[in-house]
Amino acid sequence: MSPVLLLVPLYLVPVFSHNEVLLTILIFTFILGILATGFNIVFGYAGQLTMFHGAAFGIGAYSTYLIVNKLGVSFWLALLPTFVGILLLSLVVGWICFKFRLREFYFAVVTLAFSELARLIVVNWNSVTNGTLGLLVLDKPTFWLPGAGVIAIEGTYAWYLLALTSLLAVTVLTHVLVRSWIGRNFAAIRLNEELAQTLGINTFRYKLLAFAISNVLAGFAGALFGFYTNYIEPSQLSITQSLDAIAMVLLGGMGSILGPVVGAFLLTGLPHVIEFSAEIRAAAYGAILILVILVMPRGIVGLLSRWRHVS
Amino acid sequence: MFLEVDDLTKRFGGLVAVAEISLKIEQGEIVGILGPNGSGKTTLLSLLAGLLVPTSGRVVWQGSPISGAKPDTIAAAGIVKTFQNPQLFAELSVYEHVMIASHLALKRLLGSRRPGTFFGARSADRKMQTRVDHVLELCRLTAVADKPAAALSYGEEKMLGVAMAMMCEPKLLLLDEPASGLGPQEIAHLGLVLKDLREHGTTLCIIDHKVAFLAEFAHRLIALQNGKKIADGTPKDVLSDPTVIAAYLGRHHA
Repeated sequence: MSPVLLLVPLYLVPVFSHNEVLLTILIFTFILGILATGFNIVFGYAGQLTMFHGAAFGIGAYSTYLIVNKLGVSFWLALLPTFVGILLLSLVVGWICFKFRLREFYFAVVTLAFSELARLIVVNWNSVTNGTLGLLVLDKPTFWLPGAGVIAIEGTYAWYLLALTSLLAVTVLTHVLVRSWIGRNFAAIRLNEELAQTLGINTFRYKLLAFAISNVLAGFAGALFGFYTNYIEPSQLSITQSLDAIAMVLLGGMGSILGPVVGAFLLTGLPHVIEFSAEIRAAAYGAILILVILVMPRGIVGLLSRWRHVS
Repeated sequence: MFLEVDDLTKRFGGLVAVAEISLKIEQGEIVGILGPNGSGKTTLLSLLAGLLVPTSGRVVWQGSPISGAKPDTIAAAGIVKTFQNPQLFAELSVYEHVMIASHLALKRLLGSRRPGTFFGARSADRKMQTRVDHVLELCRLTAVADKPAAALSYGEEKMLGVAMAMMCEPKLLLLDEPASGLGPQEIAHLGLVLKDLREHGTTLCIIDHKVAFLAEFAHRLIALQNGKKIADGTPKDVLSDPTVIAAYLGRHHA
């Protein structure tokens, strides 16, 4: 049975609970879960520590909104050129990094530099992005339902369904991908790149593929995030955005399908449960991460599956 | 000619690791390459497999030049190299490791129809599984197929490296010190596996320090010293060659 199916019962949560806080936490979990799932593909499966997903997240938010706003097309139609744009950008950044054989730390630093470059462009391109003030998003994604016609997605329940369905689609696709020969090639690259090459795998091409897929998923998450929060700002492209997703994947369990979602839930929910001041919260957050990396390097999902194997 | 190497040279800064080596390998042969530490054995194999780019000279594989080609291109053309120390995932099983190596086999089987497997191509999966089973049997790993790599002995780990290489269906298999670190029993076992690989039609090129092990089943030995070829011939001739004896035992024994 695919672990993805474990997400399906979540459709029932709004039936039993009308708690706005819980549902809002879950909506953020689903959207950030998409971002984390994308990072998990390139890091957890293909072993490449990118720092570009934060930028792709923010670019996805800006690009989708700007296309909707300037061209008057629907959210869904605007996603297409956004995805194509992020894909091309990923190919350029990835091509540069992988042609120069940047690995591990060096790959992280150079993708971080590209990510900062993107953020600085957004901050300074005032006429389009409104700089540090950010943009208010007043448009809504719409949906066509038989009988009801075109309806706008607003309010907690509609967003809950949209976010969960999006996450479900992304995890199903990820599951299919990592179980395929492409996933096996990612694993070979993570294991040892030289070995992968001697096994006949064009590692350049597959690293580029993993990098591009992860960034497109990050862009999708960013687009949903911007429209859900009704606000887009340059900090959504920041290093913090990238680090948050990394923390989610490490905590939940890298290289597992549901690990990033579990991590997203804990790190979105935790700040609401722990009512500390911002400083102590940041410290607690850091302490939890260090503890996780020391005690359970495979994350929560990794720990659970080990218990299952033992018993 | 199966494999032809002409004046192959590799320099690392001022150090000449491989100096103007020329050699030929015929199809079906088992060639042993011996030489003391630092004589350029591993560098030579890495040059053949494309992991290093030669400074000068050329490698011709089945009629086409391959020197400077990328390792994955060379692997796809049929030359696969194993690593001296196997690179394994502790938590993945032996079976899963060999499956990871199935890229070339699947590519040959399906070509551009591979994306179809996303929507379930059970027959291709089954063919790959049969092939994995066959390779595991060839490498005497069937009994430990479901064990995680962490539970293997060093000998089994090295054999798993060979199994992963065999999954690529190489025409020429380059083995980097397959016997190093193995006990006498494991070496005997390795000998049996290598004989099976030969029956299987794979041409082998093996580097090792263990002269007796190489001499036992290699058709031909090539001796290296300081990056140069000092002897090339039948095991008996090479091992009685005064230059080889001098290189191994010191000059006054010769």
